[in-house]
Amino acid sequence: MNHGQQSGEAKHDDDAALTEFLASLMDYTPTIPDDLVEHYLAKSGFQCPDVRLIRLVAVATQKFVADVASDALQHCKARPAPVVKDKKQQKDKRLILTMEDLSKALREYGVNVKHPEYFADSPSTGMDPAARDE
Amino acid sequence: MKRRRKTRVRFEESNQSATTTAEFSFSLTKIAVSQICRSVGYKAADSSAVNTLTLITTKFLQSLAGLASSFSNRANRTEINLFDIVNALQDISLSTSDWFPGGSTVHDTESNCLIKSGVLRNLSDFVTYAPEIPFAKPLPKQEIDGSSGRDMPRIPLTRSPEMNSVPAWLPPFPDSSLYSERCTEVRSDQLWENSDSVICRETLPENSKSEKSRDRSGGRLPLSRVKVRFKIERDCGDTILERWRDKNDGESGRDVEVKKKIIEEYIDNACIVAGEWRI
Repeated sequence: MNHGQQSGEAKHDDDAALTEFLASLMDYTPTIPDDLVEHYLAKSGFQCPDVRLIRLVAVATQKFVADVASDALQHCKARPAPVVKDKKQQKDKRLILTMEDLSKALREYGVNVKHPEYFADSPSTGMDPAARDE
Repeated sequence: MKRRRKTRVRFEESNQSATTTAEFSFSLTKIAVSQICRSVGYKAADSSAVNTLTLITTKFLQSLAGLASSFSNRANRTEINLFDIVNALQDISLSTSDWFPGGSTVHDTESNCLIKSGVLRNLSDFVTYAPEIPFAKPLPKQEIDGSSGRDMPRIPLTRSPEMNSVPAWLPPFPDSSLYSERCTEVRSDQLWENSDSVICRETLPENSKSEKSRDRSGGRLPLSRVKVRFKIERDCGDTILERWRDKNDGESGRDVEVKKKIIEEYIDNACIVAGEWRI
């Protein structure tokens, strides 16, 4: 009896938390606009008039991208710094999203990205990241 | 020589005009992805890396939508609800091994409480603690139609509340003035038995004629009307009777007399009714 009451209260709390979360989605503006998300969802047969659910999908996508990017950033930071004489320059290492870090990060999420090793997509490819734009 | 550091951020949007819907939406997603990357802490990005991440974002969205819609279709629904999305998120978090801790724990199905799902709880924390980064520019309201919907008339975005049950992808209804009057007429009738569709079948010819005249004059009779006279010949009735007599020779004369009387009465009544009749 007592256990049933406790579980009932816990359920009530969970319901309240869910309602609060859905209500907070109305005020939250995801980085990916609603219309854009709706366009991609409609392409896959997703039909939903509720804005909150569309925002939920947008938030999930935003979190996915943010997680991938932060993982790639950790790879970027963990890479052994090039040997430079100027200590000041070493401290100001530029943080650039590269295919190398991105493919390492994506591999953890089950996405295998293969890119050509020597594909020069920009004039500065292959150069030392610290020496770019200087 | 002291080198001057450049702090220029290289998240630049290409100025090329987007031609198709796919390119337009891809370039918009690219901007959003670039914003997220910058919020994480990146200062710059290779264009190929941003393109790859953008492509994966779109694939993620579409696979999530596909999973959610398949869940809803399996439940015989066309519209997607929260359960479908959470189930789809669970599936995706299982397939992507490292995404969302707690994704492998299926939510408590007994209590049907979705917030117990680890994925949803993580998203709730993300909404609470992550800084809000709105999209860089407001999107233009008018859509750039590329492949679909060119031959169709532009559908008004706002639908009346009565039309909420109609899916948005169906073509629009015709103008409401074409059918609203008929609907109100039907509704105003109290009983179906009294409706015109039932009564009209049993009306006499004179009623139908008067209805026609009512239709022409809009339901009002003119003040001055022309008199019309009708004359029905008795001969015609007699000939019919004679013919009938020839056919029924074996019948008794009394019956014939009764029937002749009835026919004569009918003709007299017809003369009285149709004698003077205003149109």
